[in-house]
Amino acid sequence: MNKLLIVMTLAIIGAVIFLVPPVKGMGEVAKIIFFHVPTAWVAVIAFFTGAFYAAKFLRTQDFSFDTLSARAAQIGFVFVLLSTISGAVFSKLTWGAYWNWDIRQTSIFILILIYGAYLTLRIAVNDEKIRAKVSAVYSLLSVLTVPFLVFILPRMYFSLHPAPVVNSSGKIEMDSIILIVLLAAVVDATLIFVKLLRR
Amino acid sequence: MRRTLDAIEQGKNSVTSEILFDNICLNFGKRKLFVDVTLKLRGGKIIGITGANGVGKSTLLKLAGRIIKPDGGAVTLPINATIAAVSPEMKIYDGLTAVENLKFFAKLRGKSLGADEIISLGERVGLDTKTFGDTCAENFSTGMRQRLKFMILLSVDADIWLLDEPTANLDDDGRQKFFVQMQAAKHDKIILLATNDSAEVDICDEVIRLPIG
Amino acid sequence: MKLSACRLAEQIAAILRKDFLIGIRRRATFAAMMFFALTTVACLSLSMGGVSLAPNFSAALLWLVIFFAACAGISGTFDDEANSGTLTTLKLYADIQAILFGKMIYVFLSLIMLAIFIVPIFVILFDVDVTSGGVLIATIFLGLIGLSAAGTLTAAITVSATVKGGLFSILLFPITLPIFLPAIALTETALTGTGFDADLLIVMTIFDAILITASSILFDYLD
Repeated sequence: MNKLLIVMTLAIIGAVIFLVPPVKGMGEVAKIIFFHVPTAWVAVIAFFTGAFYAAKFLRTQDFSFDTLSARAAQIGFVFVLLSTISGAVFSKLTWGAYWNWDIRQTSIFILILIYGAYLTLRIAVNDEKIRAKVSAVYSLLSVLTVPFLVFILPRMYFSLHPAPVVNSSGKIEMDSIILIVLLAAVVDATLIFVKLLRR
Repeated sequence: MRRTLDAIEQGKNSVTSEILFDNICLNFGKRKLFVDVTLKLRGGKIIGITGANGVGKSTLLKLAGRIIKPDGGAVTLPINATIAAVSPEMKIYDGLTAVENLKFFAKLRGKSLGADEIISLGERVGLDTKTFGDTCAENFSTGMRQRLKFMILLSVDADIWLLDEPTANLDDDGRQKFFVQMQAAKHDKIILLATNDSAEVDICDEVIRLPIG
Repeated sequence: MKLSACRLAEQIAAILRKDFLIGIRRRATFAAMMFFALTTVACLSLSMGGVSLAPNFSAALLWLVIFFAACAGISGTFDDEANSGTLTTLKLYADIQAILFGKMIYVFLSLIMLAIFIVPIFVILFDVDVTSGGVLIATIFLGLIGLSAAGTLTAAITVSATVKGGLFSILLFPITLPIFLPAIALTETALTGTGFDADLLIVMTIFDAILITASSILFDYLD
């Protein structure tokens, strides 16, 4: 599993450097998108994974679920930071500014705040049993905000962000090579996340 | 570290008047306080719980009162049993007067106390409610607070009494009054009394000594 | 111990009454919240030299003041009782849900008083024109419901934490964003009188209901 992951990651990096054509007018640095999208993806699934294990902990009182929930948040926090930084670089290249409170930038910033709050809470409570309980409760409480933010944010912030890979009309507006590499990178990042979670 | 305290088979054999500790495990951090403790406590008498400091006397009462939950096993109480407690860790409201404290806790248990009831409760524990009833509890001495706690205990008329060193700060008069109330009330209740005080141990009908470790 | 709805309401009323009695005698928490709000508003107004602001900016500032003053006022909702040792007694004598809702209603009523105090001052000091008072009142009302529900549960979450002050606001902010963002937008429309979006009021109502339900369910697990 480990070796396979390393080979896959190296293959994707190779593909990004040599196979993918340079983006018109943005140069090689714009290829950071192949790093940005997968890390953002992991940051989001780690958030839901953490909440899932939090719910499992509250139901079973099995502390191994608390450990998994905490680890998902730690990994998620690292990935959300990487994703934010790479996103800001891409933003600078495409729109000329590192930050402009675009919907997705706002969402990811809220995710940073939630991860930060959750991890701070864990450090601030010394008693193991109480720590597990309160952090699970907070994790579930924070996940409730997601559907609302998804509804509210687009009404309040104007978006410059490119449409998702598959846009609303169902058409895929990308070169197939870019798409394949991007999807492979997302799968690879997900596998890395699972690997880190279950170590 | 494994111990079992045998069930004490006395009194009426009805399931409704006993507290059952079934294979209780409890840890505080790395410290294992209880490992598979099984204990059956029957009502109708005063059951003393003694043992060295840190052996888990107060913790046993908290488990019975559902204030803390065991890590393993289960505590079974009689169905619909109400619980009241006097413990150094369970404080009354400093910002409320004696009568307000009393009425508040009684109200939580669905009882509205009249003026006469309050006076008679005060007489039973030796607290002059005519003089001190409207004084905020923060101005009370430790002994007076303890008497107020007894008034609350008596007023809610619970099925289970959990008493943790209840007379530690009382003078002889207070102690005697309290012992009288306990003896009078014990027949239809389960009374657990955690103590190492010899006078308190003397009034118990039965004493369970928690072993060390 | 499962209680009937009637007994639950009786316990909630008793806890609410008790909190008000103590709250009035020990005015410190309440006074701190009010003067925190006043200081913030005065601070902002002074530093801007009485310049009147754009409506979107005023709306955001108002909610910022409400948020931080609320944090100052409600973070200790359970800490006070936990520190004085009465929380254990309360948990023994009252149903856990009665404790939650008694506290939540108390928090809500204190926040209403905060709003009654600070909103007029804000309007005067920043020379704000309120075009649609109804929208403003509805927004503040719905906003404070959600803030009370989330705040009460967060106060219960932080009761065992070693760091208190900052932690409460760090935790509360992300989970109340779905209240603040529409509240700020709605407040702006209340000031300008244009662009009213009823959907945002509905979103706030639904989120309030979800926060109250979630607090009730999750509070059982905190016990």
